Amino acid sequence: MTGTSKEETVVPDVVLDITHEVCPMTFVHTKLKLEEMRAGQVLEVLLSGGEPLQNVPRSVKYEGHKVLKLEPVGDNKYKLLIERGSD
Amino acid sequence: MVLAVDLHELKKGGFLQQRGKDKYLMRLRTIAGDITSEQLRALADLADRYGQGYVHLTTRQGMEITGVDLHRYLDIKADMTRLGLLPGTCGPRIRTVVACPGSTICLQGLVDTKEMAAELDRAFFGRAVPGKTKMGISGCPNACAKPQENDIGWLGVIEPKHHPDRCNGCGICAEVCPGNALTMVDGLPVFDASRCLFEGNCIFSCPADAWVINRKGYNLYVGGKIGRYPGLGQLLDTFIPPERVVRSGEAVLSAYTRLQKQNQRMGDVVRSIGIDQFRQVYRDELERFTGGRKEVTGA
Ligand code: SF4
Ligand code: SF4
Repeated sequence: MTGTSKEETVVPDVVLDITHEVCPMTFVHTKLKLEEMRAGQVLEVLLSGGEPLQNVPRSVKYEGHKVLKLEPVGDNKYKLLIERGSD
Repeated sequence: MVLAVDLHELKKGGFLQQRGKDKYLMRLRTIAGDITSEQLRALADLADRYGQGYVHLTTRQGMEITGVDLHRYLDIKADMTRLGLLPGTCGPRIRTVVACPGSTICLQGLVDTKEMAAELDRAFFGRAVPGKTKMGISGCPNACAKPQENDIGWLGVIEPKHHPDRCNGCGICAEVCPGNALTMVDGLPVFDASRCLFEGNCIFSCPADAWVINRKGYNLYVGGKIGRYPGLGQLLDTFIPPERVVRSGEAVLSAYTRLQKQNQRMGDVVRSIGIDQFRQVYRDELERFTGGRKEVTGA
């Protein structure tokens, strides 16, 4: 179920697919991509359910970025929108 | 001469006979599996001088120097004391406390297992008990140090609490919850305690900090063992605050000492009388310790 937050219509600046990766490369790729971006830009990550779903959002928060949205897109895959934080 | 060996010291265990005439192995312990570089160098030196030039790592975060001549027991002991290396034990005693790295190192760790291992080691290590008693601590429900395989095991847990006023209804917590304990209803997560694993992913993932820690502590498992008749420890108590963990261990040991027959292991006692009855005796003992009367009635 999705909320009514204003981020709903955010268009990502960069898109990344990590559905073929496993731990630890799922978050490593996400982190590397975020490092190439500027604060305030939005990264869209396509990830799989299970371990990546449980761990990538918390790691993103731990590193000081903001998770805007997480939604299932079917086939055990999820779309995660991340706003890059400032260093 | 064999007589030169200090019998009182030998009784504490940790010097075990091995294959080969008069060959023994010296068992050492660590606190939560940590050993300083200085201790490692000292250990390597001892392995060269008394052993066979290598150190065997045990399954319980200990180390063994093999091939030590029985007659050199007092010498190697003196060297260990001088170098600050901790002796291990064996037999019907409380063994090395095993612990995962916990919250000071691990990103998933919820509690400070290293500090707790040191505290439990000070309180219990080497104590004589009816049957061998192993203790283990894990910093979170991932249970990497396998506390449920120990006679007494503690597992770090946190209980989440939701603040609806901070929640934006994004539903991220419900998606990342590994226990399927959260369901979004009318834009707010509804919490099902019976499914919660108490591992905190909702707290660590919520972008609005709407989930906070309500309680933090240790769940306590008893009666786990492997050996010839393996069985996992059963849940005895929940959310024990860190400052009461040692007391919970004392209460378990008193209950065990009262209930066991013929030096049974903890697991055999728990399985024969059932966890509920064991818990009643544990609660009695806990009350005695809380009341400040510390005398323990032996069986
Ligand atoms: S993740 Fe946080 S903000 Fe989003 S629904 Fe859950 S509690 Fe609310
Ligand atoms: S603590 Fe873990 S299992 Fe419990 S509700 Fe939160 S995410 Fe789900």
